Amino acid sequence: MAAVTESVPVTAARTAEGQIVRFDVHQVIQHAGLMVTFILLVVTGLPLKFPESAISQWWVGVWGGVEVTRSIHRVAAWAIVVVCLYHLGYLLYTILILKKPFPVRMVPSGDDVVKLFQEIAYFFGLIKEPPKWHRFNWREKFDYWAIFWGMPVMAGSGFILMYPVLVTRVLPGWVVPTALIAHSDEAMLALVWIFMVHIFFNHFSPGIFPLNKSIFTGKVSGERYRRDHPLEYEEMFPATQDKEE
Amino acid sequence: MVMKMAGARAKKLLLISVVGLGIIVFLLVFSLRSYALDENDCLSCHGNQQLTKTTEDGRKISLYVSEEAVNTAAHRFIDCTTCHTAEPHKVETPLTKLSLAEKCGSCHQYQYKLHLESVHGQQLVQGNTDVATCVDCHSSERSPHSVIRVLEYSSPAYKKNIAQTCGNCHGDVRLMASYGIVEKVYESYMRSFHGKAIQLGTYEITQLDKATCANCHGTHDIKRASDPASPVAGVENLARTCEQCHPGGGVEFASGFLGHKEASPRNIPVAHYTEILFTTLLTAVLSFGAIVVVAAIVRFSINRWRE
Repeated sequence: MAAVTESVPVTAARTAEGQIVRFDVHQVIQHAGLMVTFILLVVTGLPLKFPESAISQWWVGVWGGVEVTRSIHRVAAWAIVVVCLYHLGYLLYTILILKKPFPVRMVPSGDDVVKLFQEIAYFFGLIKEPPKWHRFNWREKFDYWAIFWGMPVMAGSGFILMYPVLVTRVLPGWVVPTALIAHSDEAMLALVWIFMVHIFFNHFSPGIFPLNKSIFTGKVSGERYRRDHPLEYEEMFPATQDKEE
Repeated sequence: MVMKMAGARAKKLLLISVVGLGIIVFLLVFSLRSYALDENDCLSCHGNQQLTKTTEDGRKISLYVSEEAVNTAAHRFIDCTTCHTAEPHKVETPLTKLSLAEKCGSCHQYQYKLHLESVHGQQLVQGNTDVATCVDCHSSERSPHSVIRVLEYSSPAYKKNIAQTCGNCHGDVRLMASYGIVEKVYESYMRSFHGKAIQLGTYEITQLDKATCANCHGTHDIKRASDPASPVAGVENLARTCEQCHPGGGVEFASGFLGHKEASPRNIPVAHYTEILFTTLLTAVLSFGAIVVVAAIVRFSINRWRE
C-alpha cells in the first residue's frame, strides 16, 4: 500500500494566508449538495418514523401537511441521486479526461484497521499518542464508502416506495414491505451516524469547535493540517517542516 | 340653534348605539347556542341528573338526558317523541342494543338493512351486545342523544377518528381473542403507511384522503375478513380494493400487503429477514460509533483537564 501511496504526487497548494487547499470546488459543491439534500430528507422523512408523537404531527403541519413533506422528500431524493452521479462523473472525468491518478488514498487498507484500533486504544488511555493519519482518517473513509452502500439501498428502496404500482408490475409484491423496512432502518443508521459520529469528530473535537469550515471553503490551516494529517503534511512540505513552528 | 341640533344629533347617536349594542348582545347570547326541539318540555324533568327509575328487577337506571349533548346533536330539531313515541312513558324498558338500532333504522332504512347483513348486525340479531351498532360509531358517548354528523371533527366516524373508534373494541386484545382475532389490527394499521399519513394529517378533510379501516373493510356492510363477500377476502378481492386508490395495482401489488401481521418466516419472509439484517447492522454500527464517540469525549476531556 505504501508503494502505491508514494506513486501519487502530493499536491501542496498554499494560499496567501498560509492555508492549504484540501478540496477543489467540485468536492465542496458535492458535500454541500449532499448535506442540504440529506437534511431535507431527514426533516421530511423522520416524522414518518414517529407519526404518533405530537412533535411529528406539529412539524408536518408546519410544512403544510404530509402531501408537502412527501413532495419535498421526493424532490430532495432525486437531487441527492443527482449529487451522487455528479460525484461519479467527476471521478471519471478527472481520471479519464484529466488523466489524474486514481485517488488511492481514499481506498481503505489494513493499515487503517490497525490505526483504528490504535485510535480507540488511545481514547481508552492504553497508548499515549494517537495514530498518525495520511490524507484521510478511518472516519473520513468510512463516511465516504458508507455512501456507496447507503445510496443504492436508499435510492432503490425509495424508488420502490415511490412507485409501488409500477414496480410490482415487474417485481414481486414482497419488495414493497421489504423496501419499507430497509428504507426506514438504513435511514436511521445514516442519520444517527452522521449526527453522532460525523458531526462530533468534525465539529466538536478539540481545536475545531464550533465549526469546521474546511469542507465549505476547501482550505485548512497549515497548523491543523499538520496535526490532523501529519503523514500527508510531511510529504507535502518535507523541507519547511521546521520553519512552521 | 346649532347647539340644539348638535344635542339632538348626539341623542340620536346614543339611541342608535344603545339599540345596536343591544342587538349585538342579543345575537351573541342567542345565536351562539342552539337549542334542541323539545316541544313537550321533556328536558324539564329529564334534564335533571338525579332522575332515575327502578326497574322491575330492582335495578336503578338513569333517565337523565344531557341537554348540552342534545342541543348540538344531529337530530336536535327532531322532537323527543319522534323516537320515544307519542306516549313515551308507556314505552317498554329497558331498551336493548337491537331495539336502538331498529329505531334508527325506522328512518335510516338503507343503512339499517346493510347493518343487519354485516358481521356486527348478524351478531346483534342473535342478542350479542359486544358488537358495534349505530351509536357505538356515531356518538362519542355511545348515546343516541349525542349522535353527530360524520363530517364533524369530533364525530367518532370522522375519517381522522375512525381507527380510534374501531380500536375501542378491536384494540381490546382479550375481547378480540374471544372471537379468534389475534392480529393487532389497530397497532399494525397505525404502523402502516396509511396509518402514518392519517396520524400526520390534520383534521382537514383534504389531508385525510388516506385509507382507514372502513375504506377496505366497509362501513355499515362490514364483513368478517375471511367472509368471501368481504372486500379484503383473498388476494383478488384485496387487489380490487387496493385499486380504488392505487389504479393498476393488481394482484402482485396486493400480495405485498402484510395483512395486519408482522413480517415473519411465514408472512413475507424476505421482509422478515431484511428486518433482522438491518436491525443487526444498525445495532452493530451505531454501538461501535457510540463507543468511539464516548471514548473520544472522555479522552478529550482528560487531555483538557491535564493541560
